[in-house]
Amino acid sequence: MKFKTSYLVAAVVAAIMIAFPTFLGAYPLNVARSVMTYMALAITWDMLLRSGQISFGIAGLFGLGSYASILAVLRGGMDPLLSIVFATVFSGAMAYALGFAILRLRAMYFSITTLALMEIFRIVIHNMHDFSGGPEGVVLPTVIFGGNASALYWLCLGGLFITIGASWFFEKSKMHLALTAIRNDETSARSNGVNIFKYLLITFVVTSAMQGMMGAIQVQSYGFTAPDTAFDANFTLLPLAIALLGGIHSTVGPMAGAVLLGVAAEWLKLKIPYGHLIVYGIIIILVILFMPQGIVGMIRRAGRAAGRAGKQTGANHE
Amino acid sequence: MSKLTTTGLTKAFSGLVAVNNVSFHMDEGEILGIIGPNGAGKTTFIHLVSGILLPTSGSITFKGNDITYAPAHVRSRMGIARTYQLIHPLENLKVIENVMVGAVFSKDKSLKEARKSAEAICAELELGRLERDTAQLSILEIKKMEIARALANEPEVLFLDEVMAGLNSDETKQLIATVQRIARERKLAVGVVEHVMGVIRELTHRVIVLEAGELIAEGTYETVSKNPRVIEAYLGGAA
Repeated sequence: MKFKTSYLVAAVVAAIMIAFPTFLGAYPLNVARSVMTYMALAITWDMLLRSGQISFGIAGLFGLGSYASILAVLRGGMDPLLSIVFATVFSGAMAYALGFAILRLRAMYFSITTLALMEIFRIVIHNMHDFSGGPEGVVLPTVIFGGNASALYWLCLGGLFITIGASWFFEKSKMHLALTAIRNDETSARSNGVNIFKYLLITFVVTSAMQGMMGAIQVQSYGFTAPDTAFDANFTLLPLAIALLGGIHSTVGPMAGAVLLGVAAEWLKLKIPYGHLIVYGIIIILVILFMPQGIVGMIRRAGRAAGRAGKQTGANHE
Repeated sequence: MSKLTTTGLTKAFSGLVAVNNVSFHMDEGEILGIIGPNGAGKTTFIHLVSGILLPTSGSITFKGNDITYAPAHVRSRMGIARTYQLIHPLENLKVIENVMVGAVFSKDKSLKEARKSAEAICAELELGRLERDTAQLSILEIKKMEIARALANEPEVLFLDEVMAGLNSDETKQLIATVQRIARERKLAVGVVEHVMGVIRELTHRVIVLEAGELIAEGTYETVSKNPRVIEAYLGGAA
C-alpha cells in the first residue's frame, strides 16, 4: 500500500515536470535545466558515495563528456543526439580503464586522485589546440533542436530521469547491499562473497557515464564550450553541496537539495550579484555543522522519533 | 576425505613469523578446536585460510582444489565462511539485510530468495525482530547475526573466531548447543577458536594447539590437555 502511494507521487511529480514547458517561459526553463543538471550530478556523486568513496572528479567526467560530444559533432560529423550517446559511452569506457588503477585506492588517496584526473583532462584538452580548440574552446554551428527551449528542457529532463532511474535501481537491487557492505566493512563484505572491485567498478562506470551524459546534454544545449567552462570546479563543488544539504546515501536527498539550493542560488544571484557565493558557502558550513544528515536525514529521524513516541503513548493507553 | 588442508602454511610480517609451517586438515562433520595462548597465531591462521591474508609460503587446498592465493570472496563462494573475533556488523543495513548479504553474493540468490533463506536461518538461531538496526542488538544477538550471515553463505567449512567471548554462562551454553546442532544438521566442518577451555571440551571432537605460530600438539581435548608442551605453553617456561 505504502509503495503504491510513493509510486503514485513519483508519477504525478514526473508528469508535472514533463508538462513544465506548457506553462513556463524560456527563462524559468533555463533555470530548471541548470537545477536538473546539478541534481543529476549530485545523484551520481551520491551513488558512488554509498560505497564510501568520495569522488572529486565529477567536473572531470562532465567536461570529458561535453568535449566528447561537441568534438564528435564538429570533427566527426556525428548527429548531435547520437553524440550524446557517444559521450555517455566514451565517459563510461574511460572510467572503466581508469577504474582499474584508481579503484584500488581508498579514502583521501582516492579523492585526491579523482581531483587530479579532472585537472589532467582539462590540461590535455587545453593543449590539444588543433583538435580541441585549445583554451578558446569550440563553437557548434547550431544548437541542438534549433535552440527550442521546450525541447532543450525535455532533453535535460530525459538525462535526469535516466539518472534517477539508475539511482533508484541501485537502491532497490543487490547493489544496495553490496555498496553498503563495502562502505561499512570491507573485510566483512569480502568474507561474505562480495567482489568489492567488481561492484566499485560497476558503480564508477555507471556514474561516470551519466556525468559525461549530462556534460554532453549541456554542451549541445549551449552550443559552445571551453576548458574552463567544461571543467569548471562548480560542477564538482555544487553537486557535493547539494547532496550534503539534501541528505546523502539516498536518491531523494540530492533531489531535495538541488531544488532548495538551486532556487536559493537563483534568488541570491539576483539579490547579491557579487556576494552570492559567500552566502552559498555559509549555508554549506552551517549544514555540515548542524545537520550532518541533511534535510532528508533529519526528516527521517524526526519521523522515526514521532513513530516511537506514538507507539509509546499507544502502549500507555492500553 | 579432508575438506580443507594446509601444508607448511607460513605467514611472516616483516620478520615476525605469525604462523610457522602449519599443516592441518579438517574433515566433514568435524568440530575442530584451535587453541593457544594470546599471540599464538590463531586468528592469523584463520585469516590465511579464509583469504583475508595471503600466506608467505605453504599451500591451502579445499576439496582438492588449490586455493592458496584465491581472493576471500571467491573462497566464501566456494564454501568457506567465518565470523570475526571483533564483531563486524554492517551498521547501515537491517539485521535481515546483514544476513542476506551472504546468500546474495555467495549463492547468487535473488533478494527475495535470499530474504527467505535468511529468515529461515535466523529462526533456526532464534534471532527475532529482523527489521531492527544492528545498533539495537545485544551482544548475543550480534554474534547470532554474524553466525547467521556466515551460514547464509551455505558453507561446508565454518570458522568461529571467539564467538563465545563476552557471553555469560547461560548464553554460552545455549550457543554451544546451537553450534553443535547446525554442524550436525549441515554436516559442516567447524573450526572454533576459544579461550574458555570448558567450551573447547564441550564442543570439539579434536583440538590443535598453536604456540608462537607453530603447531605444537594435536588430538582430543583430553590428550592435548595432558601434553607437557601444551601445559608449558599456557603456563609459561618458568613453570
